[in-house]
Parts: sequence; structure tokens; C-alpha cells
Amino acid sequence: MRRRSSLSASVNGWPPMERRKTILICDDEPALRELIRASMDEGYDFAEASDGIIAMELARDMQPDLVILDLMLPRLSGLEVLARFNEDARLKDVPVLVITAWNETREDVLAAGADDFVTKPFDPADLRNAVNRLVAA
Amino acid sequence: MSEPHARTVSLRDRMLIASVALAAIVVGVFVATILAVSAARTATKQEARSKNLTVQAFRVEKLVLDVENGVRGYAYSQDKRFLKPYYAANKAMDDQLRTFKRLAADQPTQERRATHLDEAIGIYMDTFAYPVTQFSNRYAAELAFATEGRKQAADIHGQFARFIKAENALSDDREHAADSKSRHAMELGVVGLTGSAILILLFAIYLARGIARPVTEAAAGAGQVAAGDLSIRLSQKGPGEVGELTKSFNEMAERLEATRNELEEQNAQLRESERLKSDLVNTVSHELRTPLSGVLGFTKLLLTRDFDPETRRHYLGIVDAQARRLSGLLDDFLDVRRIEEGRFERAKELVDMATLLREEAQLYSQQSPKHELALDIDGAPLGVMGNPDRLRQVIGNLISNAIKYSPAGGVVAVHAAPENGHILVEVRDEGMGIPRSQQGQIFTKFFRGDAAASGITGTGLGLAVSRDIVESHGGRIGFTSAEGEGTTFFVELPGVNGVKDRQGHDDDQS
Repeated sequence: MRRRSSLSASVNGWPPMERRKTILICDDEPALRELIRASMDEGYDFAEASDGIIAMELARDMQPDLVILDLMLPRLSGLEVLARFNEDARLKDVPVLVITAWNETREDVLAAGADDFVTKPFDPADLRNAVNRLVAA
Repeated sequence: MSEPHARTVSLRDRMLIASVALAAIVVGVFVATILAVSAARTATKQEARSKNLTVQAFRVEKLVLDVENGVRGYAYSQDKRFLKPYYAANKAMDDQLRTFKRLAADQPTQERRATHLDEAIGIYMDTFAYPVTQFSNRYAAELAFATEGRKQAADIHGQFARFIKAENALSDDREHAADSKSRHAMELGVVGLTGSAILILLFAIYLARGIARPVTEAAAGAGQVAAGDLSIRLSQKGPGEVGELTKSFNEMAERLEATRNELEEQNAQLRESERLKSDLVNTVSHELRTPLSGVLGFTKLLLTRDFDPETRRHYLGIVDAQARRLSGLLDDFLDVRRIEEGRFERAKELVDMATLLREEAQLYSQQSPKHELALDIDGAPLGVMGNPDRLRQVIGNLISNAIKYSPAGGVVAVHAAPENGHILVEVRDEGMGIPRSQQGQIFTKFFRGDAAASGITGTGLGLAVSRDIVESHGGRIGFTSAEGEGTTFFVELPGVNGVKDRQGHDDDQS
């Protein structure tokens, strides 16, 4: 559960015209963070947070283009992270894709401020499509 | 009114005794009144008789006077005409004397006097009156009259005077007695009737207070019980069966209340167990879905995309680890089943806790870079008899909890030492601690406190299983905790003699 700093997500050596999109992955399970990364298309940069507090810090530091958020996070729950996003003017418009193993309904999660919703266990292709759709929007 | 003798006198007996006593008193008063009235009547009758007797006495004395006058007239005149009253009196005398004696017979003294009078009159008639009537000699008659006749007549008159005086005195006494007897009868009647009325009133009050009131209270109490208020109790008084009634009522209410409380408690337990089960569904859902996501996700990736061999091996490693985790979770659930069914295998072999602790600490120190595992083991080996896999499970659970519940990192200190024939193991963390309100429940199956909300994974089974394992080894498990400062769990297992002593093994002490 090493804390990945925003350094790993820093953009380097690419033309300024076509800035690479950055995705913040928030999940306390290293294996799942790796699965999410591996499921994505080429061309994204990633930052990873293992708990809710780190997730908030990273999001404020790096202004990601998309956040993939597990609701079950230590220290600060996913729903709490969503609430803080909604209160933060700079983070309010960042799209959030929620991953959950709980039995929340789609309505609950969307009402809490999420833009889309994937349930564990998920098909990597579904996750990839959802991410691409949100980033392109 | 019947006195409250012993408590064993039944209500029916009391009623019976009270009724009989009341009836006896009323009858007594009635009889006394009748006796008094009849005594008064007797006294009145005696008084009347006394008057008759006096009249009769005068009548007899009048006859004596007639005799006297007749005889005197004849004696002085020698004229037979004067004897007329004498003959008449002489003729009536016997009857009148008989009547006189009969009337006087009810009083011994007067009877005696009457007899004396009878005799005196007889003697007067025989020895004076009759001989005088036979005398033809005027002087002799005059002489007899003047001496013996006068003397006897005076005696008879004196006797009559005494008789009448005595009779008058008797009559007065009897009048008095009759008066006082009738007054007594009146008084007795008034007192008796008033007393009976008061007794009846007292009896009615006794019925009302001793029986009607407790019965009314019991009825009201039964109403309240019917309305659901089981806390009602009656004051335990009242005679015999009424006392029994209130006592039984209270016992019934008590038993009902106890039963209801028991049911409510069971209900609460059921609700709690229901809640824990529903938590379990969520927990299982999460705990199974996360590793399942890894297994399915990486498998799908490996099936749909080409990776270089190193990446593929790495992904397969993750799949393997997640599949093992799933398998471990299944074991946990099965352990619970085993505990519930009471068939925990308890293979007993000599286990060195020092070695076991070192191995576990080694294993977990690699899992969390944020935590420092500090091992402090006093002396070795620390021998206990038991199942090494199960004991390993307990220690692993405690260390993994210490890591999980101190998400900010810190020191996890593991200490072990022999103490009073036991082996004491302590695992201390610097984590969030256990809130006081949850400390009583943490060994409850599926209880997870705030862990789910804090995002800490787990099934809520680890400590429940650990406690069963420790207790099946004859030991005990417990903890001390302060919220925000950390928690220390301890496990105490019976030590094996001679483990420290190296000869112990050879002697086969167990």
C-alpha cells in the first residue's frame, strides 16, 4: 500500500498540444488497482490512492481528468470522498466512476454525485468502455 | 366477630365462625330478654297473690272477730241470738283458713305463720269459743272470756298484725323486685339489640374491608394485567383464601412479567442476530466480490489480450493469490460452522509459541510497509499443548487485526513470556482502539463495529473463531483498549511443564 505520489502521474515529454489524460484510481486493494490499470487503453496516465484521505490530497494536487473510486475505502469512505468533491469548486466537475461491491442501487450512487457505476466483479471491457465514454464527454 | 387466630383458618371457616358467633349472641340476647320479661311477669303475679293473701288474712281475722263478738255477746247476755255470727264464722272458718294457708304456701315464713295462726285459731275455737257457748253460767262465761279468751284473741290479733306487716313488707320487696326486673329486662333488650346491631355493622365492615376490598383490588389488577401492565402487584393481605388469591395473583403477574421480559430479550437477540446476518450478507458480498473481481478480471484480460510472458506470469500470480484468498474466506466460514456444530479438531501436540510467533511476525511484516513489527519474546521455547495450525490462526488473526485497525501505521508489538505456569502472548497496536460501547461485542460472530464504514475489510469472524480456539485449548483471550490510542490483545494458554527445561522432552511429561 505504498503511497504513490503525483510524481508518477506527472506529464513528461509529450507535445503540449495533445496532453495525456490522467486517471486517479482509488482502491485499497493493490491487486484491483493493478487490474484497473491493466484494463485501460494505452494513452492514460495513472495515480493511485489506497485510502480516502490520500485520494482527496491527490485529487486536489493533480486535478485528474477522471476518478475511479471504490466506495469501500479506509479512513475516508468513498461516499464521503464524493461529498467532498461536490463541495470543492475545482473538483465538482471531475467525472467520477464508482466501483462497489456493496449492494447500493444505481440511483443511490448516482444521487451521491457519481457519473457512472460498475459493480464488482466487473468485466475489464465494460470498465474500459465506461472510462473512455466519461473521458471523451 | 371472629378473632384472626392463625393464618391457616380458612375464609369459609372465618365466615362460619363469625356467623355462628353473631347468631349465638343474638339468640343469647333474645333469651335473656325473654327470661327478664318472664321474671318481671312472675314478680307481678306474686305481687297480685300477695295482695290476695292480705285480703284473705283480713277476711279470716274478721271471722275471728265475728266469733269473738258472738261469743262475748252470748257470754254477757246468755241470749242465743248473739251466737248467730259465731255460728256463721265457725261454719266458714275451715274453708277460709284453707284458702289462707294455700295462698301463704309460696313463702315459707308466711306459711309457718299461717300454720301457727291456723293452730291458734283452732285452739281458740276449741278451748275457748265452743266451751263458752255451752256455758249456762253467766259468771263462768264472763270469767273465761275475761281471762283465757281475751288472752288468746289478743295473741291471734297480734299474729295477724305481724303476718300482714310481713306480707306488706314482702309485697313491697316483690314490687321492687318486679320493678327492677322489668327495668333490667328493658335495659338488657336495649343493650342487646344495640350490641347486635353494632356487631352486624362490624361484621359488614369486616366483610367489606377484609374480603370485598382485596377482591375488588384483585379484579382491578386483573384488568390492568389484561391491558398489558404486568408490573402491577397487590398488597398481600386479607384472610385465608383472599390472601391466597392476592398471593397467587402476584406470583402469576411475576411469572408473566418474567416470561414477557424473557421473550423481549429473546426478541432483541433475534433482531440483533438478524441484523448481524444482514451485515454478514453485505460483508460476504464485499469480501467475496473483491478477490473474485481480481480472479475474473485478470483471467478475462489474459484470455482477450496478448501479454509478454513476464506480465502474464505476474497477472497469473495475482489470480492465484486472490483465488487463495477466496479459499481462505471459505475456510473462515467453515470454521464458524464447525464451531457452531461443536466439532473443532483438537489435535494435541507440543507447540513452541516462540517459534510460531516469530514465523507469523515474519510473514506479516512483509505485508504492510507502514507498520513496524516489534517482537519481544522472553525465553524460549514457550511450550503449550495444542493444534499448531489453529494456534497459528489465532496469532495471525491478532497481528492482522493490529495492522488493519491501525491504518495510519505504527508499531505492532508482540510480546510473549511464561507467567504463573501459563504462556502469555500480547499483541499491541497504536491504532484507532475499540470504542467503549463496542467492547462487549467484539467477540460476537459477524460483529464488525465501525469497520465496514471505515473501509476495513473482514468478516467479523476472526475474533469469534480465535476465542473458540483459545478456549478449546483451556486458555483465555481478552483485550484492553482506549479509543484513539490503541488496543492490546492478550492470549493466555496453559504452559507445559519442562519445556523450558531441556530434559522435559525426553521425560515425556505430558
